[in-house]
Amino acid sequence: MAVTSPENLLSRPLITHKCTLGCPILDRCLDGGVPCNSVTELVAESGCGKTQLCLQLALSAQLPISQGGLSGSSLYFHTEFPFPFRRLQQLCHESRLGGDPPDNIFVQAVHSAGQLLDEMPRIESFLRYSKFRLPVRLIVIDSIAALFRSEFDNTPFDLKRRSSLFFKISGQLKSLAKRFDLAVVVTNQVVDFMGENEGLNGLRIGNSGALYSSGRRVCPALGLAWANCVNSRLFLSRNEEVIGEENSSVNVDDGDNLRRQTRRQIHVLFAPHLPKSSTEFVIRREGVFGVDR
Amino acid sequence: MYRWMELGRLRISTSQRGKLISAGYSTLSSFSSLTPSHLARELMIPEEEAAQILKAASDNSRLDNTDGGQAIVNGAQTAWEMLHEEQLFPRITTSCADLDNILGGGINCKEVTEIGGVPGIGKTQLGIQIAVNVQIPVGLGGLGGKAVYIDTEGSFMVERALQIAEASVSDMSEYNDLLRKNRACQVNTKPSDILENIYYFRVCSYTEQMALINYLEKFISEHKDVKVVIVDSVTFHFRQDFEDLALRTRLLSGMALKLMNLAKTFNLAVVIFNQVTTKYTEGSFQLALALGDSWSHSCTNRVILFWNGDERYAYIDKSPSLRSASAPFSVTGKGIRNSASNHKRIKLM
Repeated sequence: MAVTSPENLLSRPLITHKCTLGCPILDRCLDGGVPCNSVTELVAESGCGKTQLCLQLALSAQLPISQGGLSGSSLYFHTEFPFPFRRLQQLCHESRLGGDPPDNIFVQAVHSAGQLLDEMPRIESFLRYSKFRLPVRLIVIDSIAALFRSEFDNTPFDLKRRSSLFFKISGQLKSLAKRFDLAVVVTNQVVDFMGENEGLNGLRIGNSGALYSSGRRVCPALGLAWANCVNSRLFLSRNEEVIGEENSSVNVDDGDNLRRQTRRQIHVLFAPHLPKSSTEFVIRREGVFGVDR
Repeated sequence: MYRWMELGRLRISTSQRGKLISAGYSTLSSFSSLTPSHLARELMIPEEEAAQILKAASDNSRLDNTDGGQAIVNGAQTAWEMLHEEQLFPRITTSCADLDNILGGGINCKEVTEIGGVPGIGKTQLGIQIAVNVQIPVGLGGLGGKAVYIDTEGSFMVERALQIAEASVSDMSEYNDLLRKNRACQVNTKPSDILENIYYFRVCSYTEQMALINYLEKFISEHKDVKVVIVDSVTFHFRQDFEDLALRTRLLSGMALKLMNLAKTFNLAVVIFNQVTTKYTEGSFQLALALGDSWSHSCTNRVILFWNGDERYAYIDKSPSLRSASAPFSVTGKGIRNSASNHKRIKLM
């Protein structure tokens, strides 16, 4: 399509296609789920549920469009740990999906930013030519931060090289997302906030002035440059909370005594289509679910 | 009786003259300093008509003063003429009165306005708002134009644009009721019309971006009702791996020149959004708009959006005609609006 003909905004659906998270409460928080033709980032420290959510998305993307899914398969790039097959199996047992859901999740390991860039042409031809029952509609990169953490030094030269790689990768992902109407989800880690005089570490980006997880003040890894590369940013937090004696709430940790619980929340830090909001969630055997308070 | 002559010499229609006189304006000086919208309200006429009357009045008084001093070069304008033209031409409101205020009334036509800020500060929201507001009809003080929206980042969401358009339509009919209580006049714009009047282009690489900017002149000369060109953002594709920085600078300045020419030739507003980046100077990291120093000469006005505590603020960083000032704004479900805390302050006073 020539770039020189404008799109009529009325010629496409007035609501962007979204991929359900598999839970109505979480979907409500994101106005229907993760949008197509857009890059959504999940930021959290480890153990907050990023990978859980990604696996869940890869399954719910297979749901028919009438059930909020994309009726599509997914490409899953994992960078840190071995792919959590067992957890995927477990989630499959609990899901409403028929057939063999893992068959519709294409898994690939990547270990460096360069390798991811090299994969891009292959990804494109895969999207274009592969003939599966379900077309690929979701790309997950879990996590993008791991690709950039080791290779680069903290020198101006390396930082510059790193940020131009950010823009290159993001540009190509967005271009794929546009051409194939894909939802793209990337996960990112957090770094500890080191106090006011530590450069621009504490620069406010998005709806919340300061982010806290596990009782520490944190900020998303990869800095300001990467923040410019995603369309929406969601933050998952986990905080231990001491609860009152008579409070017998769900999700009580099996820790030392019963007066502590983990409070997990998902926060919209910025998104072109969403206002600031937070929703509490729990992680169960069956998956990740929002909690109405 | 002698001064009545003044009105008689104006090049306006008899009915306009009648309206002026019956509203109590018998001399030129009694109304020549009014704004078009004020005069329009007083005479209950559309604003463009009021603007015509004011132009006629200013032409007339200039003839008196300068003793027939014509422009020496054909087509050249005196600064006086330009000043008047600028005052007569409506600006695009941002829907935030405080922000309009520091912008001198809104986004100006014939100028390139650059707006920068961190992710999530509301750049895209402001872009959508401007694309909607440029369509406010002339009768309601707008430009009644269309918008070209160039999306390089994929952040334009059609449902959000619809939301903002819906709020704008309801504001317009409210304003219309205020303006002409005694006339059966209706705003019959539908939110879907507003979406239809946004020419949306999605570009996925810098080559596409350059090609589109080159093509815009042709496009706009075929669509003369386009009154604003929005580029959201100009930066994104130019931050990917440009080995040859001199090439980047050349491309960027070529693009800036084209945009400036568009603004001047077609009398439209150009709004470009920029990202912020960290710049290493004198041993510490500072915030700066992206694309380097030479780019910063490419636009007429420069506005920085930033967080101040929990509030969003806009700051005039550079402008030949505006004084540097800052104002709070907020992003609401309806779009860009005055900051809520500012409302409170005004109410308390």
